[in-house]
Amino acid sequence: MDITEDSLERLRLKLRYKVLYHVGHNCPDVDDLVQESLARFLRAEQSGQIRNTEEFGAFLNGVCRNVILEYRRRARREPVLGDDVSIPEQGVRPEADIIDMRNAIDTGLAELAERDRMILRCLYLEGKEKEEICREWHMTDSQFRVVLFRAKERFRRAYEMKRNAAHKH
Amino acid sequence: MPPISTEWVKAMVCKKEPIEREQLIARYLSRTLDENAVEEFEAHYLGCDECFDELRVSERLASDLRSSNLAWSQEGGVSVLRFRASAQLTHSAQELDELRREVLEQTDSRVIIDLSRVTRIDSAGLGQLMSCYSHLVRNQGGLKLLNPAPDVKKVLDMTGISRLVPAYKDEEEAIRSFGAE
Repeated sequence: MDITEDSLERLRLKLRYKVLYHVGHNCPDVDDLVQESLARFLRAEQSGQIRNTEEFGAFLNGVCRNVILEYRRRARREPVLGDDVSIPEQGVRPEADIIDMRNAIDTGLAELAERDRMILRCLYLEGKEKEEICREWHMTDSQFRVVLFRAKERFRRAYEMKRNAAHKH
Repeated sequence: MPPISTEWVKAMVCKKEPIEREQLIARYLSRTLDENAVEEFEAHYLGCDECFDELRVSERLASDLRSSNLAWSQEGGVSVLRFRASAQLTHSAQELDELRREVLEQTDSRVIIDLSRVTRIDSAGLGQLMSCYSHLVRNQGGLKLLNPAPDVKKVLDMTGISRLVPAYKDEEEAIRSFGAE
């Protein structure tokens, strides 16, 4: 498996996403968990433990899952918060990340029609099936597809711009 | 809603029909996938750049839709923040970031948050409310809560937060309380 600096950064980003999904934005140890997962994965890779390189995603996922489970067990044994310790004021998501997200939002969906917005809310926030949404909004499969991909395309452009900018740095 | 099976996810997410993949992503983001399907999807995107990018793009789209779940209004010289649809203030909910951002960027320092549509709150949500409260007090203002659901009210009372950030049932009363300080 050929691991370049770029692909390593990409793996770090994906692992961070997975870790945040499971431990939440308020966990102060997100970066440690990502680093530990990556270190174990690289050690395994260097010692030839990953036989099927096409399935390295599954291997990496297993490594990361174990790191999170160990962290949870440790946290249960040694609770970080005592009774007299106040609740953390805010999560650890870096401010820059929030600003980036905001910029993407500003350039992404600023002009999206209210109807499209409501249709997309059904899919992303209310967990409705495509068939149900089409029925409720009296639209065909193709019309739903247009609404969805028009919105995604706007965001994709903003996301790719950000990705390219990050890549240049 | 029918469950998405592990096999379904396993069958190469990115080779699926785009709307089916989008539905899978939407369920992952809304945390309605079962545990095994989550694992399979994560194993897939860790090895697939295309699906990871799609996930990130959809996350931002969903984040924007959530953001539009918050609406400001001005009542009697006080800013009132309301949720347009039901919301959770829990550690994994993106509403938390949106709420904090909205309050911190608000120029008015006298704020009422209408909690009538908040169905759950946990320590992260309480922390965020306290963060908003500290910010507003530092700016010579204050924070009041409006109409918390019984379960949410119970948590606010148990943690003593309602002593610092009082909750009111009546909006007029909440607005008047700023004048009494």
